[in-house]
Amino acid sequence: MAARRSPDELVVALTGQPNCGKSTLFNAVAGFRVDTGNFAGTTVSYAETALRFEGRDIRLIDLPGIYSISSFDPAERVARDFLLSGEVDVVVNVVDASILSRSLELTLQLIEMKIPMVLCLNMMDEAQHKGVLIDLERLATLAGVPARSTVAVLGTGIDAVFAAATKMSRTAYQPRDPCYDRDVEDCIAGILARYPEALRQALPVPERFVTLRLLEMDQEFERRASQVDAEFVRSVQQDRRRLATLHGWPESGVLASHRHALVLDLYEQVATHHRGAIAGMREKIDRIITNPVGGLLTVVLSLLLTFSLAFFLGDLVAKLVDQPFAALRTAIQALPPSLAVALLSGLVEGVVAGAGIVLPYLVPLLLLLAVYEDAGLLPRIAFMVDGLLHRVGLHGKSVVPLSLGFGCNVPAIMATRNLENPRDRLITMLVIPFVTCSARSVVILALAGKYLGGMTAAALYLFGLGVAMAVSFAVSRSKQHKALGLIMEVPPLRRPYPTIVMKKVWLRLREFIVVAWPVILVSSVLLSAASYVGIDRPVNAALSPLTTTVLRLPEVTGIALFLGVFRKELALVMLATALGTTEFDLVLSQSQILVLVIFTMLYIPCIATLAALFKEGGLKTCFTSAALNFGVAVLLAGAVAQVARFFA
Amino acid sequence: MTLLDLSEDEVVEIRSLPADANMARRMSSLGLFAGRRIRFVKAAPFAGPLLVEDQATGARLMIARAMAGEVEVTRGRTPKP
Repeated sequence: MAARRSPDELVVALTGQPNCGKSTLFNAVAGFRVDTGNFAGTTVSYAETALRFEGRDIRLIDLPGIYSISSFDPAERVARDFLLSGEVDVVVNVVDASILSRSLELTLQLIEMKIPMVLCLNMMDEAQHKGVLIDLERLATLAGVPARSTVAVLGTGIDAVFAAATKMSRTAYQPRDPCYDRDVEDCIAGILARYPEALRQALPVPERFVTLRLLEMDQEFERRASQVDAEFVRSVQQDRRRLATLHGWPESGVLASHRHALVLDLYEQVATHHRGAIAGMREKIDRIITNPVGGLLTVVLSLLLTFSLAFFLGDLVAKLVDQPFAALRTAIQALPPSLAVALLSGLVEGVVAGAGIVLPYLVPLLLLLAVYEDAGLLPRIAFMVDGLLHRVGLHGKSVVPLSLGFGCNVPAIMATRNLENPRDRLITMLVIPFVTCSARSVVILALAGKYLGGMTAAALYLFGLGVAMAVSFAVSRSKQHKALGLIMEVPPLRRPYPTIVMKKVWLRLREFIVVAWPVILVSSVLLSAASYVGIDRPVNAALSPLTTTVLRLPEVTGIALFLGVFRKELALVMLATALGTTEFDLVLSQSQILVLVIFTMLYIPCIATLAALFKEGGLKTCFTSAALNFGVAVLLAGAVAQVARFFA
Repeated sequence: MTLLDLSEDEVVEIRSLPADANMARRMSSLGLFAGRRIRFVKAAPFAGPLLVEDQATGARLMIARAMAGEVEVTRGRTPKP
């Protein structure tokens, strides 16, 4: 995270529950100037931006969406620790006004942290449609924090939030602690009276906050406090048990139950209900989408639309992208061969390859996904296919990363961030490289489609999907399951807004451009240089046991397969060079072409995907993935080659 | 009676959450806790998750079957504690 630019720069953190429109608000303010990163030592990501508001420098940080500030979810832990670190001057708590009574739960917990705070009631329009009227002033008075209303998708009310935040930083913040039941308050007072000085020193956060965390059975706070004063923690545990027996609640839920009551009371004082007008149309559409027949039809249609857009439109655009470069290519080839020319040609190929994947295949996929996401379609698709995906060890939330994988595996790996459970995330990350990306589709179409027929190409595509599912099944069996079980919000269907969709597409596209494209460029240049120097012979010889014995392919395919690791579609180009012809059926038998396609589809993720795996999952994940893919590829392609022997 | 025993559109009140503290906490932070009234909207195909609606907010949640089977519900209203 960037350091403060000046001593009076204001650090503002946006926090709120998932789907509250927090990131929409952030993007509305940040425009296209966004930095993203991970919190040190974690996979929890944040976005930040710098802006000037009324002459004041502000650094705005978008924290991950959290439902509460307990310790069992990594995102919640990280967001909470960051808020308590003292780096934040003002926290803006964004809440979905249309579900205020639930959103206030987090608000109360944040107030207890005693960080200067502004309450931002987003989606006020939605609340009104639902027939809920909220008295902002009364809410501000009762909660003891300034409250403003916004409609982030339209950009309204945002200035007022920042005005309140900057004002907040100038005035002394005197929060009023939410007041619990008499029994609870007595208990808290008793604990605070004997709060150890050593703990005060060791944990520089408000004592009442620590006390409440301990009463809520927060494992991490218990651990931290026990290290300082185990006796004190034991006494708090006794108090907690006493409260639990007194109220007849489970020990872990006793404080939460009191907070629910507090929130409900607060909500009833600030909200009035009228008859909502919203239900009609949306409810009807929703009923169709979540109905087994209509739902599966929606899933199939949306997938079909995505793929046809990516492949038919994409193919068209790919040709358009390729054309201007064709002349450049011919010009370069006409130059007398030298290392410089080889490097130049490598660079051009890298640019073309990047543009050839990004513009035609990735942009349409990202665009539709953003539309589906903003419309609220994705959670519904997840709901429909969750049961199916469960049978192969995945679950509904993996739908997004997996479908992105058909475009390019790199953004797909990045999208696994939405899976909070490390196990699910790992399985999804290991399965993605088996999803046939657009670069490998090119290989399938050009080899299998041309020489083995369209049906075979389609069958190979399905075969790839089957392998991915089988791998998922096998990997999930080997990983012990101790997940919490899926519980996920299904936000209402909403109209997507073009500007917000475009910003989302750009942010994701930028990830690809920053991570994958440089790798493609560098490997392309290296590749060109290597083939100029003539490394093909030793590589062919070294790979010969694999290529000739196991896969029963000509030895010269070795270099093509080796270079294909850098870029999958390159295997095709290099194959033509190695074999000295683009009419592959002259030198390869049909079964050899089949083996070649299967092997290229499955073996080792391309280098950009490996880079993404390394960045998101670490070295071990990266190696596991490479080994897994290579093993499966050798096994399946080898089996086909050996069986084909008997029919030859 | 648990969430698994309901028919579509039935409105019930939650009596108790799963015994697992983390699971209970996750549900409770999503607005499902004892005393809350919810509507069972429908179940997903292929033995998939359940869709329920929090009657207080109108928010909808999908819950895995394993989790739903541990949520005790009742058709009548229980007196407030």
